[in-house]
Amino acid sequence: MTAPALELRGLTKDFLLPGSGWWGKPRTVHAVRAVDLVLPRNAIVGLVGESGSGKTTTGMVALRLSEPTGGQILLDGTDITTLDSVALKPFRRKLQVVFQDSYSALDPMLTLAQIVAEPLHIHGIGTAKEQAEQARHWLERVGLHASYANRYPHELSGGQRQRVAIARALILKPTVLIADEPTSALDVSVKAQIINLLQDLQAEMGLSILFISHDLSVVRSLTDTVAVMFNGRIVEQAPTEAIFTDARHPYTRSLLDAVPVMNPRDRRHRTFQTRAELEAATPRLSAAALGLAPDATARLVRVGADHLVEAILT
Amino acid sequence: MIPAGLSFPFPQKRGDMRLVEITDLTVSFPQADGIVQAVRGASFHVDEGESVGIVGESGSGKSVTCMAALRLLRQPPARITATTMTLDGINMLAADRKTLAGVRGRVAAMVFQDPMTAFDPAYTIGAQIVETIRAHREVSKAEARREAEGLLAKVEIRTPGAVLDSYPHQLSGGMLQRAMIAMALSCQPRILIADEPTTALDVTVQAQILQLIKGLQDELGMGLVMVTHDLGVIAETVDRVVVMYGGRVMEEAPVAAIFDDAKHPYTRALMASMPGQVGGRRRLTEIPGSSPNPADPPGGCPFHPRCGEADARCAVEMPPVVVTGEASRAACWRLT
Amino acid sequence: MIGFIIRRLLSISVTFIIVSILIFTMMHAIPGGPFDGGEMPLPPEVRAKMMAQFGLDQPVWVQYLKYMSGVIRLDFGVPFQSPGETMFSLLADAWVPSLVLGGLGVLIGAPLGILLGIAAALHRNSWIDYLASGVATLGLTVPVFVTSMLLILIFAVWLNWFPASGWGDPINWVLPIAAYATIPMATYARYTRSAMLDTLNKPFVTVLRAKGLPENKIIYGHVLRNSAIPMVTVFLPMFIGTATGSIFVEAMFRVPGLGSYFVSSIRTRDYPLEMALMLMLTVMFCVAYLLSDIAYALLNPRIRYGDRKG
Repeated sequence: MTAPALELRGLTKDFLLPGSGWWGKPRTVHAVRAVDLVLPRNAIVGLVGESGSGKTTTGMVALRLSEPTGGQILLDGTDITTLDSVALKPFRRKLQVVFQDSYSALDPMLTLAQIVAEPLHIHGIGTAKEQAEQARHWLERVGLHASYANRYPHELSGGQRQRVAIARALILKPTVLIADEPTSALDVSVKAQIINLLQDLQAEMGLSILFISHDLSVVRSLTDTVAVMFNGRIVEQAPTEAIFTDARHPYTRSLLDAVPVMNPRDRRHRTFQTRAELEAATPRLSAAALGLAPDATARLVRVGADHLVEAILT
Repeated sequence: MIPAGLSFPFPQKRGDMRLVEITDLTVSFPQADGIVQAVRGASFHVDEGESVGIVGESGSGKSVTCMAALRLLRQPPARITATTMTLDGINMLAADRKTLAGVRGRVAAMVFQDPMTAFDPAYTIGAQIVETIRAHREVSKAEARREAEGLLAKVEIRTPGAVLDSYPHQLSGGMLQRAMIAMALSCQPRILIADEPTTALDVTVQAQILQLIKGLQDELGMGLVMVTHDLGVIAETVDRVVVMYGGRVMEEAPVAAIFDDAKHPYTRALMASMPGQVGGRRRLTEIPGSSPNPADPPGGCPFHPRCGEADARCAVEMPPVVVTGEASRAACWRLT
Repeated sequence: MIGFIIRRLLSISVTFIIVSILIFTMMHAIPGGPFDGGEMPLPPEVRAKMMAQFGLDQPVWVQYLKYMSGVIRLDFGVPFQSPGETMFSLLADAWVPSLVLGGLGVLIGAPLGILLGIAAALHRNSWIDYLASGVATLGLTVPVFVTSMLLILIFAVWLNWFPASGWGDPINWVLPIAAYATIPMATYARYTRSAMLDTLNKPFVTVLRAKGLPENKIIYGHVLRNSAIPMVTVFLPMFIGTATGSIFVEAMFRVPGLGSYFVSSIRTRDYPLEMALMLMLTVMFCVAYLLSDIAYALLNPRIRYGDRKG
């Protein structure tokens, strides 16, 4: 059995915030709390949640752009949690990222060809000529005509910049792409283009994508599996359609319920639960029925073939 | 409809049907290297008690249209022309400073996109609501504060007294947007303009705020202009839809007609490209290309470079507005 | 906040030590000493005796430690120019003209500059803006000794309204203070303009307009207050900073202030006097920054009251 493309085991991240007021003491924020997540090969996994859920921090820690407080990050079965920057470099090739705001992520002084070729340059792959050729090839592959090679980021629209960011991330042929809200800043009419591009490239390259998003509609059309984060924990994980049709966790249900319905005839009055109510509403499952021992602390429990829900076993 | 214990000394007049009337609005911004044409001849109206959605992407001119209606754009550089631009019968094109200050907040109030930056960070929420009330009505500070507390309760804030004394940075985005809505309602405006009021908020908070705005609009009988890029928001909140693209109105129709039977190719393409409408991982129907550059818009119909049904005429001549139903119209050569 | 002040005091101490080492070594790195040169060189044995008497024959680091141990006891050593006096008594008299010049200069220049800046920001891209910006740019780019010379030429030589130099009578103060006030005025005009424009472009100003607040209330109740927060933080450091600029003005108008001592101490290699002046400036800068940070905290509710998200 081959190892998954990316695996997070008990990943934890605490932040220390400075105290507030005249006598404030520093306080610890538990941004990510013991997250277990498997990104299988050749698949797109959605990580959804609201602001403060810890989804972006999870991505940053998985990329080793932020140091974990605890837990392990396994890339292709290799533990990269504690590798230093030199030892990490070959693994960086396999683990790439695309952010929401590609404008600030693209060097305004470089041409698009230079931007896309930069990772090859950093990793010393190929001659200058080969690098330039690869860059042009990738620009075309993400749907930008070769004539764009000598343009600069400011000449592009948001969707085109996101294409450049994707080309730069994929030119090293990584096994894992972490995409943090890559479509959130895009126009509706352009969003579909980028979603399709990611799907096509994923299928062609056998890529594994961790797609971090708050947009459930995009997640539904793009991902194979969804993990829902709430308060730094994964509270539910299942194949995408199971999440949308058979959500078990109250938080997942409240998220789905909040999505606008695209039919004006289906308008309805919603009742909302407060955060405290949702926090207190951890499902209780019968341990006996699942053949498990009772457990008073909430943990992820398998309730279906690939369906996990955070629950208390009674 | 007004929280208990509150009284508004100036009952607002009712009866005039048309709250917003805008005909042939153009807004442009001269720049060093040309003219940015943000709005190029937009027309729409809002009747009493009606909610109208203006939907469009970035650069469609939807926000600029609302800012122009309240004359919130700096002139110069902005250049605004229109055949008519009235709010509750008041000619906004000819309005002087004093008239403008009287209309803003009292006749038409606005709720903005990012509640985190919409309040002055140096004052409490209470001070800012009280200031709004006292700008339009002669009431004592204590009286205005009582009203403000009632308004915060009205927008379903559970601890209005505490929020009143909070500074903006101490509150969450959802709480601030509620306070912003309370402030907008403080002088019982006849028209509420909400410019992407939920875009900066989380999904669950968005649903709460939309429900709140819709509920208040129904209850208070205000006219509502909901400006958004999100068709979902449109489906949830408005009666009639104005679809804008490239500074022009492409289509206008009752909300059900837009979702069931859109006439304009742009509206149809936009609907088709929405993700998440059916289950399962799948490719979406995409619209090729990107939105027009307002500094250099294409000739003819602004959508023609991306339209699957365009022909030579579309590239040259802006299509006429075609009546497509009782309250529907669209601007497309295909419909002529 | 208390922790913050303690941390700042610690970092000020470190800054103070580093600056003192730098100044001390730099002074000693320049060739020559206080008893060298001149038209009548001292005989070598007299010179050696003088050097020993002032401890100048010891290694630089020993001199430094000895000096600094004195500084801690507020003993800045004996000025070479007048060994009979202490540093304090020598500088005590010099402070007064400098303080009057610098203080009145800032008190007159800063408000003028703020008014210019406000006018420029409110009438962006109009002739008022261009005039104010032009004045500010001139004030910053024309060296203060040129301004001083112009003032002397026009008001002392041609018009004969004010004396060209001296300090005894308040009429003597007018020209140096005017020359000196151009610096804070120009600095404040530029700073106020950009702070105001920055605030005017904030979304909350649009919200204030949209709710029908009269323009004057928006400007004086909101925009000015928000622009003042960053302006306060630069006020004290700028105050001290302009004080060093007064050296040239003092020299041009022959004002018997600190500046004249500064110049003469460097010329005569009066190490203790130079050190004392530099260290005092350093401490003043550090304290000014600390005070301005505290002022910022007091003005900004985000720091005054902690976050309590809810």
